[in-house]
Amino acid sequence: MSERWMDEPWAKSEEFWYSGKVTRRTLLGLGATAAGALGATMLVPAPWWHAFGQAKPYKIGTLQPLSGAAAAGGKTALVGVEMAVDRANKSGGIGGRPVELIVADYESKPDVGRRKAEKLALEDKIDAHVGGYLSNVCLACMPVWEEHKIVNMITVCLDTTITTTKCSRYTFRPFDYAPAQAVAFAPYLVNKLGKKWHIVYADYAWGQSTRDAFAAEIKKNGGEMVGSTGIPLGTADMTPFLSKISGSFDGLFGIFFGGQGISFLTQTFDLGMSKKYKIAGDGAMTPSVSLPAIGTKGEGFVGLDRYIPVLEGPLNTPSHKKFFDDAVARLKAIDPSGPLPDRFVQSNFEGFNALKLGMQKSGFRGREDTMKLIAALEGLEMKEGDDFPQGDKILRKEDHQAFLREFIYDLKNVKHRLLEIVPKEKTLVPPACKFV
Amino acid sequence: MIARRSPTAYWTGFAVVLALLAIAPLVLPEFWRRFVTEILIWGLLAMSSDILIGYTGMVSFGHSVFFGLGIYGAAAALLSVKPPNLWLALLYGLTAAGTAAVFVAYFSTRLRDIYFAITTLVFSQIFYVIIFTWTAVTGGENGLTFAQPLLSLPGLGAARFTPETLHWFVLGVVTVSYLLLRRITQSPFGMVLQSIRENEPRTRAIGYAVERYKIVAVMLSGLFAGLAGVLYAVQNKFAAPDFVFFAVSGEVVIFNVMGGMGTLVGPVAGAAFFLLLREGVSRYFTEYYLIPVGIIFTAMVIFMPQGLLGFAKRRLNE
Repeated sequence: MSERWMDEPWAKSEEFWYSGKVTRRTLLGLGATAAGALGATMLVPAPWWHAFGQAKPYKIGTLQPLSGAAAAGGKTALVGVEMAVDRANKSGGIGGRPVELIVADYESKPDVGRRKAEKLALEDKIDAHVGGYLSNVCLACMPVWEEHKIVNMITVCLDTTITTTKCSRYTFRPFDYAPAQAVAFAPYLVNKLGKKWHIVYADYAWGQSTRDAFAAEIKKNGGEMVGSTGIPLGTADMTPFLSKISGSFDGLFGIFFGGQGISFLTQTFDLGMSKKYKIAGDGAMTPSVSLPAIGTKGEGFVGLDRYIPVLEGPLNTPSHKKFFDDAVARLKAIDPSGPLPDRFVQSNFEGFNALKLGMQKSGFRGREDTMKLIAALEGLEMKEGDDFPQGDKILRKEDHQAFLREFIYDLKNVKHRLLEIVPKEKTLVPPACKFV
Repeated sequence: MIARRSPTAYWTGFAVVLALLAIAPLVLPEFWRRFVTEILIWGLLAMSSDILIGYTGMVSFGHSVFFGLGIYGAAAALLSVKPPNLWLALLYGLTAAGTAAVFVAYFSTRLRDIYFAITTLVFSQIFYVIIFTWTAVTGGENGLTFAQPLLSLPGLGAARFTPETLHWFVLGVVTVSYLLLRRITQSPFGMVLQSIRENEPRTRAIGYAVERYKIVAVMLSGLFAGLAGVLYAVQNKFAAPDFVFFAVSGEVVIFNVMGGMGTLVGPVAGAAFFLLLREGVSRYFTEYYLIPVGIIFTAMVIFMPQGLLGFAKRRLNE
């Protein structure tokens, strides 16, 4: 036997060295096969498509962050739009025309988002847009929708300025925003939990504007914000910041989302703060997907959200059950842990349905009818039902901002528990938009 | 032995490429027309970083700072001066990028190799955090949106940019920048930069003040990156902190590697190739586009270590 394996006779055979080599011919062959398979998949129409015969489809674009930092949320959001589009197509489309959903991934980057928006407008020639997840991308793309006269139904972006200082005639937000949430939640915070609050927030645009909205409303309701602590976005270990918080106050109010929401709740528990103070905060901190990580450390947390995945009280309706079951099945397909639906699925589902309702009401045929569609959407009343399982809502004409009921909940046994419902009339905020 | 190509062949090739780029907006559909303009802007950014990466042998992860500050500088001019003025945007953008370049250069050029790269990366993070959290001035995460200035040329009046005129304006700026950078890299100053790349201790031993040359190289590179930022602001009418994030610098390094470092034209070709590849592949693979892009990039590094331009040169000379 040779000392080195390379000297063995079998290792010297040419076949050994070249049998696995990727030659140009092999590469071309594999490439052609892959391209063929991909092309074949793209050419096979969806089964429901035949029912529409020759009817020209409505092209609806959706920009979502399916890769990059916001990919997890983007994929969840897409589930909501797809649910609504599938439902529309299975029930005869819109005015007998099918809906073709064109998905574009903007990689969680504003420059890519803007380019993809232009691609949807110029290449795909979409009739309307539903989607948008990251506020900075929503804001970067709004001039594109304006330039091409396309209705833009935002479904996740929460930045206040979208329907205030930077509002646009073409953009609608069919869900809540921080000022309305603050108006809805502040009376409960002050009257039932405590007068004095310390706000801890993610130190960037959304956290800062939400902090200001809550501070103003707490004061208006007879309470007081005794202090605030900004924590840089992405900081997982909040202990150095939280341990410095001291003084006389009744509650800690957190404004975070994703991993930082989990950190805030688990670390306030570890530091013993949740025994000393009431812990409350924005609903973005406790979506169902975060509950397993928060565990029992989040017990007693009180939050406000436009949607919570419970089948009780006003959410115990056949419409919500249908939405809930469909969403659970679809979410399981993208996440085997089987998360329950959250507000992103809800607002994307209802965002498309709001657009559908506007299209039906205005007799929308295509982009040439955009102004008619805008007129139909301004002041649009949405009634609770299969299209809007969350509840009634109204899309205000003056700023294209929707107002809807909010749910105050707490965490009990690692689940959401409904405490109180705030009717949409009690979430109203004066409009602060001037369309150019 | 590789034969040196004649200047006539070079300038003929240059004129042909320039002519093709000039007629591109007249023949391409609107989306691609805009896309080619954007490629030119990213190409200028890649070209500016080539001065450091390709000519001086300094890998910078701070280019996003200069590019981003070029955008924010232009945004400041376009938001504060009514009506928005193109030349003021250019002045503000270049001043912001140039000032940052002086600051970064002063501290980072005392270091070499990986230490230089890390220092520039740290600076890009510092500027990113400032811009991200200083919401009252920079708009924070949401950035700033603003109006496009008019195309005003002395003695010729002012007119709104159309996709075609914007493309020609960007093409003009990129061409002039290329010719300037080419002249600089072929000058004695450029030769010293290449000498630093090849053997820094020997360059110092000969008597050159290496640090000073490096500082000038970073400043020059930063100014042209800032220029790319101004052009991006004029085209896209928004500024976002993402442009200052070091990931943008990483992409610029990829443009250089793909196109061919130390060639000026190579990084532009690399930017075009990467952006077109990403756009094309993402249409079919949506969120999984990075897998084929990554495979192609890896294959290029293995089989074309000198980049697209080096590969083409070798083929042409065979």
